[in-house]
Amino acid sequence: MSEDLAIQLNMVTKEYTRNSMRIPVLENLDLDVCRGEFLALMGPSGSGKTTLLNLIAGLDRATSGDVIVDGLNLSNLSEAQMTKWRADHIGFIFQMYNLIPVMTAQENVELPLLLQPVSRRERRRRATTALKIVGLEGREDHYPRQLSGGQEQRVAIARAIVTDPALIVADEPTGDLDRTSAQEILELLESLHRDLEKTIVMVTHDPQAAARASRLLQLDKGKLVGDEMQTAPIRPGSVVA
Amino acid sequence: MKYLGYIFRNVRRNILRTILTIGSIGISLFLMMLMLSFLSINATVSETLKGSNRLISMSSQGFAVPLPIRFVEECKAIPGVEHASPLAWFGGSFKEEKMPFAQFGVDADTFSEILYDRKVPAEQLKAFQDDPAGCVIGYKMAAERGLKIGDPLPLKGAIYPIDLDLTVRAIYECKPTEDGRALYYHWKLMEELLKSKNQGRMAGNAGVVYLRLADDANEAEICRKIDAMSLNSQNPTRTMTEDAFVSQFAEMWGDMRTMITAVGFAVVVSLIFVSGNAMAMALRERTTEIAVLKAIGFTNGRILGMVLSECVIVAAIGGLVGALGCKLLFDVVDVSTYTAGGLPFFFVPWRTAMFGLGVSLVIGFVSGLFPAISAARLGVIQGLRKVV
Ligand SMILES: Nc1ncnc2c1ncn2[C@@H]1O[C@H](COP(=O)(O)OP(=O)(O)OP(=O)(O)O)[C@@H](O)[C@H]1O
Ligand SMILES: [Mg+2]
Repeated sequence: MSEDLAIQLNMVTKEYTRNSMRIPVLENLDLDVCRGEFLALMGPSGSGKTTLLNLIAGLDRATSGDVIVDGLNLSNLSEAQMTKWRADHIGFIFQMYNLIPVMTAQENVELPLLLQPVSRRERRRRATTALKIVGLEGREDHYPRQLSGGQEQRVAIARAIVTDPALIVADEPTGDLDRTSAQEILELLESLHRDLEKTIVMVTHDPQAAARASRLLQLDKGKLVGDEMQTAPIRPGSVVA
Repeated sequence: MKYLGYIFRNVRRNILRTILTIGSIGISLFLMMLMLSFLSINATVSETLKGSNRLISMSSQGFAVPLPIRFVEECKAIPGVEHASPLAWFGGSFKEEKMPFAQFGVDADTFSEILYDRKVPAEQLKAFQDDPAGCVIGYKMAAERGLKIGDPLPLKGAIYPIDLDLTVRAIYECKPTEDGRALYYHWKLMEELLKSKNQGRMAGNAGVVYLRLADDANEAEICRKIDAMSLNSQNPTRTMTEDAFVSQFAEMWGDMRTMITAVGFAVVVSLIFVSGNAMAMALRERTTEIAVLKAIGFTNGRILGMVLSECVIVAAIGGLVGALGCKLLFDVVDVSTYTAGGLPFFFVPWRTAMFGLGVSLVIGFVSGLFPAISAARLGVIQGLRKVV
């Protein structure tokens, strides 16, 4: 049954211990995400969105319960295995773009490919393609500081898709951008979902951003309080800016 | 290898900090090379003199106490001794120079037999032997003072109340690890002047006695024989091989060596702190970046390797500048020219330079360990949460 499921959470609990006090962050979460879904995750600050995203992306471990991504139960992996798995399966997009400042756009995009058994020429070719997809042809040799925030985030997206991962996680990818740049980034994510059939999990505070997704999850105090399919995502152009 | 580009970018990232680290390591290693080379000179000389088949016999009270000239003949009578010559230190001044170069009174007839490694053309040797006031000088000294065959070379006595008015009759060549600045004159000339101008006072002294053996088979045996022969005379001797004689000078630096080693060790430790601190500071600024690298799949081991390589590269550049720079500099510049004969030559042996380079690698590695391990152990989540 889990064949077409990209993500499966079974009774997932995550708690932190501070001074021998247990702080529950996620409680008994159940969730199934199909392949190719574009998931938006909303909720008040501190509700556990980032924590949940980290579990799905294999950056953190659940205190109990199973996190199954692409049919693989992550709780069974060692830390080194998990790192390797992330390199092959996950594309990361961060709020602060997090590009390497001493590398050009091209080199930043090539970075994840260094971990793959790929020739130098192939690395170059794939990175160029990825930059083309995000609309940054001709910017290959620019350093992050020579790019606008929106452009930096597009480089980051190119870096996230260059290894062709099944799952892309984005934690407030438009949180630091102006409205116009945010629109562009969202359109890009949408097209990754639509044209490349990527599964995307995006945390956002912005209802307009969430409206782009095919499915909207609401998280509050570590519990899922809303889960709705958005069959007709708002198309670009119809958004009132 | 494919990460090397990134590592080098990181090295250049905070260029001032990198230059300061390289500078500290470079300068310290440069000075360390100087001290080590200085200490190793006598050892190097001693090493090259092994198997020279030469002995030096001096007074048991030290080489400053002269042996009587008849002792030279007594030594010659000992089986295995081929040649023997006085070797008398004149210590005069030349023109304005107080301690210009070593000056030895020798037996001109055996000069080329005993000092066979001072290469003199046959006709020059003959000219020297034929002129009682002739002298042989080293090629370095000749070059530095512009002296040619036939030039007068007056030496004003300092220890002795006589002056030697010498003429350059021969110029010797020698290996770069030998003294190319010495002067040899006829011992007999000094003897005659002391007799005629100083009522014979201070005359009849050989200084030390320089011996050439047929082979090195019985060196120790012959040394013992000579010392036994003189044991009950007025001038008991201490006889040793030439290399042992030279290493005595190295031993004079023995205490110094311990101290310099201790100082050198302290310097290395403090360099480890300097370099480690610079690296730790650099990494602090890169916390988020390292977390991102880990998130996208860089393993802890890879991060460890990259940080260590960065540290080793910076330290190695310091080592190249300091150790190899020092070596190459003193290959080009001969500082012994400026030491008024205090040092016959000065150079930084390859062995010492390589040692310095090795020390820099160790500094890089050890200083990188702590920052590298903490970078490798950095939690991805904590690193990503940290807002820089
Ligand atoms: N290492 C930790 N130790 C203790 N508590 C933690 C730790 N990390 C996160 N938390 C707590 O977990 C809760 C959820 O944090 P999380 O970052 O997932 O929230 P969020 O929904 O992403 O919030 P925001 O919208 O502000 O990004 C918060 O109350 C936070 O304080
Ligand atoms: Mg968050």
